[in-house]
Amino acid sequence: MNTPAKEFLRSAAAKSADLAHRSTIRTGIDHYEAAVTRTGARFLDWEAARQRCQAIKWEAINHLDKYLLEFESRVQDRGGHVFWAETAADARGYVSELAARKNVRTVVKSKSMVSEEIDLRQDLEKQGVKVFETDLGELIVQLRDEPPYHLMTPAMHLTRTEIANLFQEKYGGVESNDPQHLVDIARRALRDAFFSAEMGITGANFLVADSGIVALTTNEGNGRLGSSLPRIHVVVTGIEKVIPRMEDLAVLWPTLARSAVGQSIACYNTLIGGPRNANEPDGPEEFHVVLLDNGRSELLADAEQREVLHCIRCGACLNVCPVFRKIGGHSYGTVYGGPIGSVLMPHLGGLNKFQHLSFASSLCGACTSACPVKIDLHHHLLQNRRNAVESAERPFSERLAFKLWRWMMMGPMRFAILGGAARASLRAAHALGLEGTRLDPMRPWTKTHAPPAIPDKSFRAQWRTIAKK
Amino acid sequence: MRKNDDPGRDRILARIQRGLRNPAPKHPPLEQSGTIFAAIIDPLDRFRKECGQNGTECLIVPHAGAVAEAFEGLLESIPPGEIFVQDVPELRPMVTLWRKDRSIRWSSEGRPAEQSQATVTLAEALVAQTGSIFVSAACGGRAASVVAPVHIVVASIQQLVPDLGAAFARLRERGTVENSSMLCLVTGPSRTADIEKIIVMGAHGPRRVIVILSLEPLS
Repeated sequence: MNTPAKEFLRSAAAKSADLAHRSTIRTGIDHYEAAVTRTGARFLDWEAARQRCQAIKWEAINHLDKYLLEFESRVQDRGGHVFWAETAADARGYVSELAARKNVRTVVKSKSMVSEEIDLRQDLEKQGVKVFETDLGELIVQLRDEPPYHLMTPAMHLTRTEIANLFQEKYGGVESNDPQHLVDIARRALRDAFFSAEMGITGANFLVADSGIVALTTNEGNGRLGSSLPRIHVVVTGIEKVIPRMEDLAVLWPTLARSAVGQSIACYNTLIGGPRNANEPDGPEEFHVVLLDNGRSELLADAEQREVLHCIRCGACLNVCPVFRKIGGHSYGTVYGGPIGSVLMPHLGGLNKFQHLSFASSLCGACTSACPVKIDLHHHLLQNRRNAVESAERPFSERLAFKLWRWMMMGPMRFAILGGAARASLRAAHALGLEGTRLDPMRPWTKTHAPPAIPDKSFRAQWRTIAKK
Repeated sequence: MRKNDDPGRDRILARIQRGLRNPAPKHPPLEQSGTIFAAIIDPLDRFRKECGQNGTECLIVPHAGAVAEAFEGLLESIPPGEIFVQDVPELRPMVTLWRKDRSIRWSSEGRPAEQSQATVTLAEALVAQTGSIFVSAACGGRAASVVAPVHIVVASIQQLVPDLGAAFARLRERGTVENSSMLCLVTGPSRTADIEKIIVMGAHGPRRVIVILSLEPLS
């Protein structure tokens, strides 16, 4: 087994036993679920909304070249620049070079998972640029020098008291752990940065091909300030974010808001079409869009899993996932966590390195039911497992076990004899009081669970008795 | 950057085109099964209700002449300091009525100051479905709707559209998307749910969003 897999097992075991962590996540999820239930009524037919969003993304992804070219040409018509980055290094190289060329000393950054994917902040900091994360959750994890915990709620693993202590240590002046007070402190701390930064970096929720505009959804207003006040605005995003028409947002915006945080619509749904026009009082002089590939075009070529690129990064699949709720966002050890991350990471980071995530699932399908663009997530987990068995490194013992299992299952006699032997040995282990000890063949299960009762007779023997009656 | 300066571009496009030769196994149904949102019968009523839910303060006045009066009432609650106003003929006379000792910065003089106490702008459209205000960079600039603790929008009932679809149709028809470098659908005061997923009002943007809605045209 490779190292990320071992680290995953270690971290997942520790986190699932951490009851304080479980209770913090429970609180967050409870608030999320209550909000989603409240806004649910705004959709006359939620299923119809999901189908519409799925159809929009299907259209875009299955004509990706056409819509990207349309988007690029319209952005250029409006005076913006488009850079196509094949790799993470290309993308951060472009932004870092731009920052150096334009004498940028301070950057205000909005939340962007793609910027996490390419380690953009770290790269800019290395060349001496001061980078402020301005989304509250991102700011909190930046101050703690941690990666974001969750796609949508980066500081979900922290209680208000932990955040109050952090702010007291970093900024001082904390009087209570009231979220309102903490938000005020963050606002004051970032105010100067917004007005003095030379560059604003944001992500994008959608790239609208027919109008050449970037659609950016935020609640705090940090993305608005960061794309208005600095003289350069850089959008860092993935090639899969493109959608065909502006009108598609009429359903995508409310659907994203509901799935992400349980709002009827986010506070700021912004459409940015380029640098300021000559007749406008403010706005950046330069507008750059970095389109990142970084493995996405390879995923596109996998027709079976292509729809994974439909993802709008709402985080709904994380919130409903029984695995995420127990092991938390950091255990995954990946930029994208939860079910979507487990599906995506083998494509972005290599099957061999990230195959283990697809095995860490009960395949309950809650993610698939929650996905607002109807990605068949749990079946993609299964496909990753199949691909891993076919092409990635699996342990020799596992391959041998499955060979034996297959051999046993192929003959009714073999099945009966070996099944009987297994029942007998388990009963013997039980009689000797070995349950849960190292000599127990069921130890991986019984060390944390009550052992199941062992039946006296096999299923087939029981069936014969019942059938006779 | 011109297109041919970017060698990655052609390689990415080639990979996409090669990848798409393999068709996706299933196509989602083209026609969705049902109606996504209920039809909006009374847009004004819906707008007021949605504003109530999202925290937008909605002041309805009978005609443009009454807007200045509504302003007077609002000013009491705004701390002393500069107020930023979009420089348009519709707002000039209303604002000069209550000018008194308030210092005013017009959008023609540049973007709002960091310490502005309030901004006053027009809107492109109001959306009943979500109780939202569509503003553009033409509404006093990009920062005008987000920089100050209070954002006051002056609008008329003619700008109210039932839903997002109708709002986009209006923006298309007027060429707003082409002519403006930024558009924003603003729904209530800024907020965050980043601490324990509890919604807290007033983050980096305004704590108060106020719409003064005239039942007659503004000019």
